[in-house]
Amino acid sequence: MKTIKSICIIDDDPITVFGMRKILESVVECDAIDTFANGKLAIDDMNNRVADNKPIPEVIFLDINMPIMDGWQFLQEFIDLPIKKSIRINVVTSSIDTADHDKWKYFESKTHHTITFNNKPLRKENLAEITTAA
Amino acid sequence: MLQRSTFHTDSFLIKQLPQATAFINMEEEIMIASDKWVKEFTPLSGSCIGMSLTHLFSQQNKNWQKVLKECMNGEPGQPRVGRYQDESGNEKWFELLKTAWHDEDENVIGWIVQGEKASQRMHNEVQLDKLHILSTEMSDIAKIGLWEYNLADDELNWSEMTKIIHEVPLDYVPNLEKATNFYKSGHSRNTIAMMVQRAIINQTPWSEKLQLLTAQGNEIWVIISGKPIYENDEFTGLIGTIQNINSLTLSEIKTRENEYHLRTLVDNLPLNVFIKDLDSRKILVNKSEMKYCGVQKESEILGKDDFEFLDPETAKKSRKDDLKVMQDLKPVLGKEMVHFKNDGSKTVFLTSKIPLVNRDGSAYGLVGISMDISELKQKEEELKALISVTSLQNEKLLNFAHIVSHNLRSHTANFSMLLDFLTNEKNENEKQKIMGMLTTASDNLLETLDNLNEVVDINSKTGLEKKSINLNKEIRSAKQNLTANLSEHQVKIINRINPKVYVKAIPAYLESILMNFLTNAIKYRSPQRKPIIELSTTFENGYTVLSIKDNGLGIDLEKYGDKLFGMYKTFHDSADSRGIGLYITKNQIEAMNGKVSVESRVGHGTTFKIYFNEND
Repeated sequence: MKTIKSICIIDDDPITVFGMRKILESVVECDAIDTFANGKLAIDDMNNRVADNKPIPEVIFLDINMPIMDGWQFLQEFIDLPIKKSIRINVVTSSIDTADHDKWKYFESKTHHTITFNNKPLRKENLAEITTAA
Repeated sequence: MLQRSTFHTDSFLIKQLPQATAFINMEEEIMIASDKWVKEFTPLSGSCIGMSLTHLFSQQNKNWQKVLKECMNGEPGQPRVGRYQDESGNEKWFELLKTAWHDEDENVIGWIVQGEKASQRMHNEVQLDKLHILSTEMSDIAKIGLWEYNLADDELNWSEMTKIIHEVPLDYVPNLEKATNFYKSGHSRNTIAMMVQRAIINQTPWSEKLQLLTAQGNEIWVIISGKPIYENDEFTGLIGTIQNINSLTLSEIKTRENEYHLRTLVDNLPLNVFIKDLDSRKILVNKSEMKYCGVQKESEILGKDDFEFLDPETAKKSRKDDLKVMQDLKPVLGKEMVHFKNDGSKTVFLTSKIPLVNRDGSAYGLVGISMDISELKQKEEELKALISVTSLQNEKLLNFAHIVSHNLRSHTANFSMLLDFLTNEKNENEKQKIMGMLTTASDNLLETLDNLNEVVDINSKTGLEKKSINLNKEIRSAKQNLTANLSEHQVKIINRINPKVYVKAIPAYLESILMNFLTNAIKYRSPQRKPIIELSTTFENGYTVLSIKDNGLGIDLEKYGDKLFGMYKTFHDSADSRGIGLYITKNQIEAMNGKVSVESRVGHGTTFKIYFNEND
């Protein structure tokens, strides 16, 4: 089994979070899986980690439609953080709006981080594939 | 001797002849000359007897020499006129006549040469000749023919040009009747007959423009004039001229026709046409322009500028455009102009102004053409509004489709995932947990479907009838429903709405809208102060605008403005935020052809403005 030091799930739907955790546990060995119910909580945590010089999660699962701060707003702030290491960010959404696809392309071109675009539901095989350090 | 004495007697007589006369022998020597001859031709020497004629006139000009030679060599009895120059250099005209000089036996012994002074007569004749030539030339150039009618002989004479005009042979002999019949029957023939008659009876002159048919069958226009002539105060006949003015008249008729065509065209164009002078005063207008300016006659408009008919601002703008066109000498084509008349009425014109340029290259005015496109403009506005409504509807529909698909997909994705877990799960406790989650997912799906149903309901029931509702009454009832909520949070509602304000709304929607905004104001109150909600109304372009102002948390519109009224968008970390209220409210307002706007400052509060459409 692959080993990932730290994974982060940003999603406001508890069922999705439960499911992802469950699958992740069966495909990777991971010391810590953190979850945040919206982008605001997640970016605050990231800011703290950068300030305290703590490691940033290697893989981030990011939902788009969330209250207070959505996935795109989180990304906008995240790519401006001084993180040298390339982080893998897996956008996971049930949206079929082409505008969201365009936004993914835009962010992908703007950053050194790896960004992928995935539709819900995530199967075990897919998840195993995209859960890997960038 | 006798002979000689006879000769002397004769010579004495000859000397006294009143005419300049010289007797010349066969050698052309002057034998004897009258005193008059001597006076005229040999004033200096005093005597010319024995001189030859050639010698006598040797100093004379070529003309005289020639005439003399012709006279002496030619047949006798034929007078010849020559130009003689006297000692002072004056020219005199003489008629020289040679006759034979016989002796008693009828033998020719010499010639008698007589010189008759012909200056005055000749002068007249030359003048007459000149005049004749001149008049012939003139009549040729101007195509003016002459005619003369002699009353006594009832005789009509035509000059050559007159005959040419009538296209008859030069030997044609006209009379009054024939001449009259050349004129086109009807007006022309009647007129000429009447004019001739009147001239003969009353001796009145005339000049008329008439049509005649030439001998060749060509129809031409002529000016025929006549006047009476008198001899010793007695009326003897008529004299007159005839001029072919066909090409002139035809071109004149053509010009007038063209002008008429052009005028008819300009007048009936569905465009306003005008010509302005340098001071922008109108010097020509067509019917459309008269109608626009509200006048019946051209004279009411001519010489006046735009300030007489248009609102001063519009007139000023128009004058500015005029000046530019006339200064730059460049036409302005198809410029859209909004004109306000003095009475305030508005017209949109598509105006072109073209400078009128003198031969020296400076402008002396301009031609203006304006097309009234007000109706077109109106249609364009309507079309734009329609397109905007359609694209708005389209956007809403697409947005809704995304919402539906997104929300349904997220739930089904959960179902799919949970069911997958359930099948593979061995642990009984874990199974129970998954079952619980499936129930939650199912409840969530049901709620989502309910919400979507509500939205579909609002958008599909467009036929619901709007009623005029007293706003205050509706607010009182909303307050009643919220009594517990209001008192719990010590909310103060300040109502500034006039008791007489009514809005056109669907009762159920109005109730829902008020409840929603009031609940939101309470829900997102600031923990730092007691909630105050202010209600007021204003009127704007056919809308009654209800303002609901709170002193709550406020929303960062820059961040969330475009999502505020979206579905399942929440902006506050509040447990009962569902992100559906404002979405439904907005749909209800739009279903009543209204709109909603928001102003907010984080930490100060939010004002929602609800526009109730009072027209439809």
